Amino acid sequence: MSTLQERLTQYQQLFSELASRVKEAREIEELRQLFLGRKKGYLTLLFEELKNLSPEEKKTAGKVLNDFKTEIQTRLEELEKQARAEKPARLIEDPTLPGRQLYWGAPHPITIFQREIEKIFISMGFSVEEGPEIETDYYNFEALNFPPHHPARDSWDTLYINEQLLLRTHTSPVQIRVMEKKKPPIRIIIPGKVFRRETPDPTHLPMFYQVEGLVVDKGITFAHLKGTLEYFIKALFGEKIRLRFRPSFFPFTEPSAEVDIECIVCSGKDPQCRICGGSGWKEILGAGMVDPQVFKNVNIDPEKYSGWAFGLGIDRTAMFAFQIPEIRYFYENDLRFLRQFNRK
Amino acid sequence: MRISYNWLREFVDLNVGPQVLADGLNQIGLMVESVEKKDDDTIYEIETYANRPDTLGHLGVAREVATLFGLPLKTIKWPLAELSQPTSDFIDIQILDPQLCPRYCGMVVKGVKVGPSPEWLRKRIEAMGLRPINNVVDISNYVCFSLGQPIHTFDLKKIGGSRIIVRKARKGEAIRTLEGNLLELDPEMLVIADESRPVAIAGVIGGEESGITETTTEVFIESANFNPVSIRITAKKLGLSTDASYRFERGADPNAAPAAATMAASLLCNFGGRVSRGLLDVFPATKKPRTIQLRLNRIAELLGVEIEPEFVVSILSGLGLKLKEQKKNVWTAEIPSFRVDLEREADLIEEVARFYGYDKIPSEVTPVKSFDLPSDKKREKIWLLKEVLFHHGFDEVINFSFADPEKEQIWQSGYKPIRLQNPISSKASILRTNLLPGLLENAVWNFNREAEGVHIFEVGNIYFWGEEGVHCEKLTLGILTTGYRTGQSWQQGKKETDFFVLKGAVEDIFYYLGYDAVSFEPLEDSFFEPEQALKILLKNEIVGKLGLLKKEIARSYDLERPVFCAQLDLAEILQRPARTFSFKPIPKFPGTSRDLSFLVEANISYQQVYHQLQKLTIPYLEGFQIYDRFQGKTLPPDKTSFSVRFFFRHQTRTLQTEEVDRAMLDIISQLKTSLKIQLR
Repeated sequence: MSTLQERLTQYQQLFSELASRVKEAREIEELRQLFLGRKKGYLTLLFEELKNLSPEEKKTAGKVLNDFKTEIQTRLEELEKQARAEKPARLIEDPTLPGRQLYWGAPHPITIFQREIEKIFISMGFSVEEGPEIETDYYNFEALNFPPHHPARDSWDTLYINEQLLLRTHTSPVQIRVMEKKKPPIRIIIPGKVFRRETPDPTHLPMFYQVEGLVVDKGITFAHLKGTLEYFIKALFGEKIRLRFRPSFFPFTEPSAEVDIECIVCSGKDPQCRICGGSGWKEILGAGMVDPQVFKNVNIDPEKYSGWAFGLGIDRTAMFAFQIPEIRYFYENDLRFLRQFNRK
Repeated sequence: MRISYNWLREFVDLNVGPQVLADGLNQIGLMVESVEKKDDDTIYEIETYANRPDTLGHLGVAREVATLFGLPLKTIKWPLAELSQPTSDFIDIQILDPQLCPRYCGMVVKGVKVGPSPEWLRKRIEAMGLRPINNVVDISNYVCFSLGQPIHTFDLKKIGGSRIIVRKARKGEAIRTLEGNLLELDPEMLVIADESRPVAIAGVIGGEESGITETTTEVFIESANFNPVSIRITAKKLGLSTDASYRFERGADPNAAPAAATMAASLLCNFGGRVSRGLLDVFPATKKPRTIQLRLNRIAELLGVEIEPEFVVSILSGLGLKLKEQKKNVWTAEIPSFRVDLEREADLIEEVARFYGYDKIPSEVTPVKSFDLPSDKKREKIWLLKEVLFHHGFDEVINFSFADPEKEQIWQSGYKPIRLQNPISSKASILRTNLLPGLLENAVWNFNREAEGVHIFEVGNIYFWGEEGVHCEKLTLGILTTGYRTGQSWQQGKKETDFFVLKGAVEDIFYYLGYDAVSFEPLEDSFFEPEQALKILLKNEIVGKLGLLKKEIARSYDLERPVFCAQLDLAEILQRPARTFSFKPIPKFPGTSRDLSFLVEANISYQQVYHQLQKLTIPYLEGFQIYDRFQGKTLPPDKTSFSVRFFFRHQTRTLQTEEVDRAMLDIISQLKTSLKIQLR
């Protein structure tokens, strides 16, 4: 076994060699542990050997060891200072390079628009209801006061599965399903997919989205219908938009109305406007007071209760709002189309 | 319906110009869709409704306009040059089916000189967008567009036995129509027949043989009324829609029939005609006019505005209703037969509202008396699920619910598809039983348009016949990922998607929706490559699958890159209760972790390792996480290496190193038994 002095010399060499190589704080700490660690540090172990020496030897050796310890501590402190000073070593070479952005998937524009509509109505205390896409003739037509073989059905050209079953041509059958189950007051909107036997063209497809609204209670009036729809349209298109209510016909409402909004593209100033055709108005939704026959079909007394309903095409409204020229864009799912609405 | 401004003036002395008139028509719901100037006339294309056959003639529109502007409706006299013989001397009319033909009026005009129409008549016909033909045909059109009552003219000499029999067609009968087509008739169709054969399809179209020609001199005028449903069924079956059928199927006015016949006869007198004496009018069951009660207070209750009783009376009277006041502000209204739409009090209130002006009705907030509590969180969960997928970089798509039966077959989804009776095209003739074909089409579409990767999902229904022939629609989630990932930075470069991109998104859906009981098991399936797919289970029930799409399927869509996709049964998943949330205290004492790398037999999957790790009974073990797995390289070929990090924590104090050392020894010894691990 080598003498204490020999090992001390070895350690001093080792230390100065290691100390010349370390740079980072972690390495400095490792070096400290190697020599000064509480249990196994080289110097710690040497100090432990002191107890085996004579008091005379202890005194000299103790001083030498203590000097070495001070030397180590001073050197380590210096190294730490250097390490701290060299911290900004990783320079940003070119901060003008683009940052690391995260890609968020894009909701479908129909989803975005539908949610906007839902939010407006939910803020007015409406609940959201849904219903089946495959319907019976009863719910889709008869209960909504379409007599069999009536030309009124022509505007709701239907895709049939068999004699009884069809693809719903509007969201209105859900009105019936809700009123059968729930007694007034009713205050709902019904978004969903609907189907018509339409030959595809820029504004027609055999499948599209609608949202339906229904309020039933005592004392509900046409004035309430107007007030609510005006609020809705303004919330959707902005406060300055103008509306026009005009009489129309739907078998399930009486009186019935169609609502036009001012053309947001030309405000009626362009006779060649491809959005409004120069009329200055764009038909946007159908509405009316719930027909008394519809109430009778669901055992609600039309003498006690009244209600209003409306229906709106989500695709068409979105087309108008964003000036999308072709309805088929919604279902082609071209990413260059879909992703635009992520930043709407 | 085309409406001529000048023609309206035959019925009402309009004191407003064409623009004011157009605004007025819009106000009362006869929406002007386009306006055309023609010579000295203005022609409006107005929108008419299925329940308003009275607006399919100028008289009806004139009545509306007269009421709006407070003007009287003119009565027009139609003088006749009469013969001494009564009509019945020339023709016999018999209705065999009075259900389908409630009224039939006939008149005979002799000595008519068929020839071109005079200019005034040609202008009227041209205003309707038609080509003038000859005076007789033009007159019948003129009458139709004036009164809204279709009439038909026959060459009397061609009517066999001088008999008109209104009956159903006999089996095997056919008729060549004025359009020149030979149409087979079926026994549900009503025809106008002579003694031996049909001469016209009642209310739809006349026959060629009995039609008016250059040589016709004796004209039989038919002005009848037919059952709307019967006419509609016949016209639909024959694929025909004529000006006549369009009006009859909406419900023509039986009381307009005599006037229309007389008007036509009178006009034919201008061309040398002499009219048989008296109208032959077969009207087996006359109908009493309908009456409806109208209460002034109901108007206010429904419209939300008080309207003066004088206004109500003047409008409804103008529209031809006879009002009798029962008691103050309550009336009995007798409805004229041309208004088939007026059946209930609400219908009369709409009439009042139309003329009062919807714009003048105030706008009010719909009052709320109570709010419904949200019934289920399904919609919120669907949105949350979408957000998870957006976060993972998936774009949302919406595809048609229709599918191509040929393409659908490639998939063998196992569902019996629902077929449409009258599809738009054969390529869209069934309803989709699976969302993935749509997603693949989207991938192809986008790869053909500069996309380098497609990562998309759809939430929508699939449809199929369930047990016992019950139709089913099931809310489903489809996810697809293929090609390079979206939004790579310059630091990382392009990265191709892989199976774990998809699986991570699926796992996160379950994690964030609170379905902790999700697990995965190997799946062999018609959609996926063998051993490259998993089924997704919630408490032992299969709720979905994911994997590497079969090459043959991808190729059939012209996709060469690997396609990873998943389909999840949302209907099933969302109806299950999710974990209920409860707050857990934040740990007060530091935890510690230890790593362990070990070898197992190569055929052991991570899932098997995971199950054994879960079974460990070790004090203070808080959790574990795999951080490496590899085969080959320096390893023996029959081994797999896993590296797992274990987390330890004591709830009430700091753990001692020795305790953790002991726990690790325990873990190693338990895994040696359960997995036969070798330490690395």
